[in-house]
Amino acid sequence: MKKVGYLCTFTPKEMIWAAGFLPVRILADNQPVSLANSHIQSYSCSQARGSLERLLKGDLDLYGVVFTRSCDTLMRLADIWEKNSDMRVYNLEFPTKINNSTKNFFKKELLDFKSTLEEWTGREIGPKGLIDSIRLYNRLEELLARIFRISPDYELITRAETESPKKIVEEAEKRLKEIEKRRGNKKTVLVTGSVCPFPEVMQFISDAGFHIVDDLCTGTRFFTYEGIENDKAFNETNIDSAIEFLATKYFVKAPCPTKNYEKDRRYKYVIEKAKDVDAVIFLLLKFCEPHFFDYPQLREKLEAMGKRTLLLELEFPVSEGQLRTRIEAFYETVSEG
Amino acid sequence: MSKMPENEKKKQKIKKLKATARMREIMLGYYLQGRQAERISWVTSGAPVEFLYAMDVYPVYPENHGALIGASKMGPHFASYAEAKGFSQDLCSYARSDLGCIFVGTSPIGGLPRPDFLFACNNICNTVVKWYEVLSRIFDVPIFLLDIPFVRKELKESYIDYVEGQLYEFINFLEKTYDAEFEEKKFKEVLRLSIEGVKSYGEVLLMGKHKPSPLICFDAFLNMAPIVCLRGTEAPLVFYKEMKEELEDRVKNGIYAVDNEKYRLLWDNIPVWYRMRWFSEFFIERNTCLVADTYTNAWTALVDLKKKNPIRSLAETYIAIYLNVGLDLMVEKINRLIDLFDVDGVVIHSNRSCKPYSFGQYEIQKMLNIPSVVIEADMTDSRTFSESQIENRLEAFLETL
Repeated sequence: MKKVGYLCTFTPKEMIWAAGFLPVRILADNQPVSLANSHIQSYSCSQARGSLERLLKGDLDLYGVVFTRSCDTLMRLADIWEKNSDMRVYNLEFPTKINNSTKNFFKKELLDFKSTLEEWTGREIGPKGLIDSIRLYNRLEELLARIFRISPDYELITRAETESPKKIVEEAEKRLKEIEKRRGNKKTVLVTGSVCPFPEVMQFISDAGFHIVDDLCTGTRFFTYEGIENDKAFNETNIDSAIEFLATKYFVKAPCPTKNYEKDRRYKYVIEKAKDVDAVIFLLLKFCEPHFFDYPQLREKLEAMGKRTLLLELEFPVSEGQLRTRIEAFYETVSEG
Repeated sequence: MSKMPENEKKKQKIKKLKATARMREIMLGYYLQGRQAERISWVTSGAPVEFLYAMDVYPVYPENHGALIGASKMGPHFASYAEAKGFSQDLCSYARSDLGCIFVGTSPIGGLPRPDFLFACNNICNTVVKWYEVLSRIFDVPIFLLDIPFVRKELKESYIDYVEGQLYEFINFLEKTYDAEFEEKKFKEVLRLSIEGVKSYGEVLLMGKHKPSPLICFDAFLNMAPIVCLRGTEAPLVFYKEMKEELEDRVKNGIYAVDNEKYRLLWDNIPVWYRMRWFSEFFIERNTCLVADTYTNAWTALVDLKKKNPIRSLAETYIAIYLNVGLDLMVEKINRLIDLFDVDGVVIHSNRSCKPYSFGQYEIQKMLNIPSVVIEADMTDSRTFSESQIENRLEAFLETL
């Protein structure tokens, strides 16, 4: 099966799978960057630099890559990528402004994306194929959500981002039966932030003694859609209901700081998630503007709510010793109350 | 053109334009006006300000204010107040300096007046969306975001439909906010002034075509505030007409920005505001003239009123601006400037504060047919400026020409 890569969770994977490609999320590895340095400045985030490095190293075997204009870095990375590879590069203009009046534009973009994928394969994406794909992903997302509610599984989510959704659905069903719902008296911490594709880093937080509530781009924001519509009532002879469903689904996706929502939905979402936790860790990629602009006012509000907060600024490769020490020290202060 | 002896080379001075003093007066007037304004909006530099002027809304430009702070060499000072609140040093330095001014309650011009609402347009960057969200929480006022799709390859009709629709929404938003009617007649007059202003500014920039050039692009930078802040009023028309006349007089009288002009260069990106003088002197001493730049030329796109309805035409213009297009289209525009101004090389400012302007520059450099050099700096925050490194790079570059 040919693969189509993407970087942002606002990419409609359902469409890629329906076209007959395996959607694969491109994530940086935990290695030093060297080749990418002559293509993008050092003040770009590790996810952008690291992903580009993997491309230049010949690490990625992809037919095409889909970009969404989520942040300024991804906006420019699309062209840098195209200039340095033979892959097909497509940019889907996901609106920055998320409200009812912008949804129609997104639907048009979805149809353009569909046509492009059809050009790539020479095959039409029919209603049946797209609806099946939507149902498969909905099932996957529902299972991941249930697992994360009990205990976040970062090894599984990393595989869900890069392997066949069919296979992961089967595994997730088995996994759900195995895991016990046991939290004991552990202190809970909300881990909020950008991309962190390394389960070992998340393990440091659990090892320190915390139970994790997740709000990461490589965690719950990959599979959380708030108040998603019923996916049983499709018109299987017409593509419109599937497109409408996808547009609505991605508009109710767990809010991300790269988007502008009505009534400050992203800010309120984080505050709501933090309500019942003992502490909050901001796990942010250095140079990630969308997250760093939100950070000071969120921190202020959280501290006013009596939450202790910790900012961990990541660059890859992660300096593990230092990170572990800081998390352990934070756990100490939190458990001392 | 008289040849200068070697030992006198270093004595060349910056030749100030009278227009710059006039510009300062105009901008002082503009800022004073803000103190009395009844309707106030904060607006991003690439937004269609014409709608605000048509509704008698006074537009405050935090970016222009940031540039002013940078030019006053107070970037690090004001930014430090934002940093103390938790705003990272890696964030845009315009945003940090401006937020710092709000937190400390002053600025080089005594602070900016409080807005009724915020008008952000992401055709220049997505930074402004986040920055204005922060402002919206501070002032507890709404944001109107004009969301502009990025034109990586082609400007699709669906993009224009999308933006046009939002512009009508914005008119409704303005009418509701002020409980007043949006007058089409007035809007058309503002639009006419805007087009005239942009034309006359464009004519000033074109004076750099003359060999030798009567102006350095820093003259254009310093004097761009009226076309940004007062676009849609009479002020830019009069001002740029006078500025052009001054430049024509220079040419007539054989006065040029750089004596014995040897090399002609193009500048890319926002200037290093706190080092304009240093850069000017560096190049003047080496008989080199920065005759044009990609930044000020971004304000010369014209709305075409003949083809379509004015709002649709405006939508198209504001989508296709320099910073909102892909690298191939940017290179096309740079090549046009290279031909038009007949330049020998390009100085590329890699600006830590501006990711959409800077990322991709390394690829652009490979696509250009003339020599270029990249220097690393920041537009407002002098703490990252390494004089010796930049001097060495530029020296080495000039030697290759």
